Amino acid sequence: MKLKELEQLKNEGVDHISSIERRRFLKLGFLVTGVYLGGKALSLAPLTEAQAAEVVPPKGKYSYSPHYSMVIRERLCINCELCVEACNGTNDVPSYGYRTDILERRRAIVDDKYETIFMPVLCNHCNRPPCVRVCPTTATWKDETTGIVKMNPGRCIGCKTCMTACPYNARYFKEEGRFVDKCNFCYDTLLSKGAKETACVTACPADVRVFGDLADTNSRVYELLHTPETLVWVLRPKTGALPNVYYTNA
Amino acid sequence: MKRIAIIFIILAFLVPAVCLVAADTDENEYDEDLYGPEAPIIWEKPVRGVIFSHKRHTMEFGLDCDECHDEIFEMEAGAAEEYDDFNMEAMYDGKYCGACHDGDYAFAASSRCTTCHIGVRGVERLTGKSDDKNH
Repeated sequence: MKLKELEQLKNEGVDHISSIERRRFLKLGFLVTGVYLGGKALSLAPLTEAQAAEVVPPKGKYSYSPHYSMVIRERLCINCELCVEACNGTNDVPSYGYRTDILERRRAIVDDKYETIFMPVLCNHCNRPPCVRVCPTTATWKDETTGIVKMNPGRCIGCKTCMTACPYNARYFKEEGRFVDKCNFCYDTLLSKGAKETACVTACPADVRVFGDLADTNSRVYELLHTPETLVWVLRPKTGALPNVYYTNA
Repeated sequence: MKRIAIIFIILAFLVPAVCLVAADTDENEYDEDLYGPEAPIIWEKPVRGVIFSHKRHTMEFGLDCDECHDEIFEMEAGAAEEYDDFNMEAMYDGKYCGACHDGDYAFAASSRCTTCHIGVRGVERLTGKSDDKNH
């Protein structure tokens, strides 16, 4: 190493960099960071920051009008399956298929006993639906008005990618038409014809399922999600899909 | 003489053994005359998948038949199901199961739903039908 030559070199230090040069350098840095962050954020469908923090969007911050959602009062479910029956009949669901289902889990309780908990499940009509993102033919999409995740069977090529992407296993392949079918909150069969609730909600004898417009602060869904001293949760929140089906112990 | 002796010896062993077995089964055997039908009752109306176990209520909890029969429930199987008011609302008013399940004598009819409502899945499991409903 030519130490002697290096020693003779003039110190370039920060004192000699003009402020314009410094600004240019910083600008480049911000630009690089900005592009990186922007790219990350842009790769997902838009969402409000507040929604990412809480499972229930804050008052006034609803993406849709009506912002259709369902509240499930889980502890009241008795697995009578009248909802499943009503859904199948209303939406022409074949015997092997399902748009909604009741799952079951057992929990150990005191005195060496068990408690059964039934969990109704259906499409969560996510605000960031993974199924929509993966569909190669836009056969499934998020309705801009209602927020319902809809299907156009005519556009579906039956690749089943959406079935894989769905965190809630809410889709099935309908052999009869060779397309993927799913819950659409009875939009075509009931809501669009003026009905106020879905078939499963009407059929439930235990008042487990409550359907409505979350953006309407007078609605029952809003009330249930904003009742003091109750617990509200969604299924698999970490997928970041922002579901519109809520569970509560109210 | 030898043969009689052998028979006698065999009997000497057999008789107490049979008696023991008999005594044993007597103690463990569920007496339907005393405790009511052993098989659980499964109600289908007004909703599917509701269970009632005589064994639970009589043998385990020590209730007598006449605590429920014939005033709260008729003896005839399925009789209660035919009444229009055989529902939760009536139970909250102290009818049917609600006579005991009032939150005081036994857990309230308005609580712990799945204890009796075992659901379609519960019935399928109980009756040995396939529970393979997973997608």
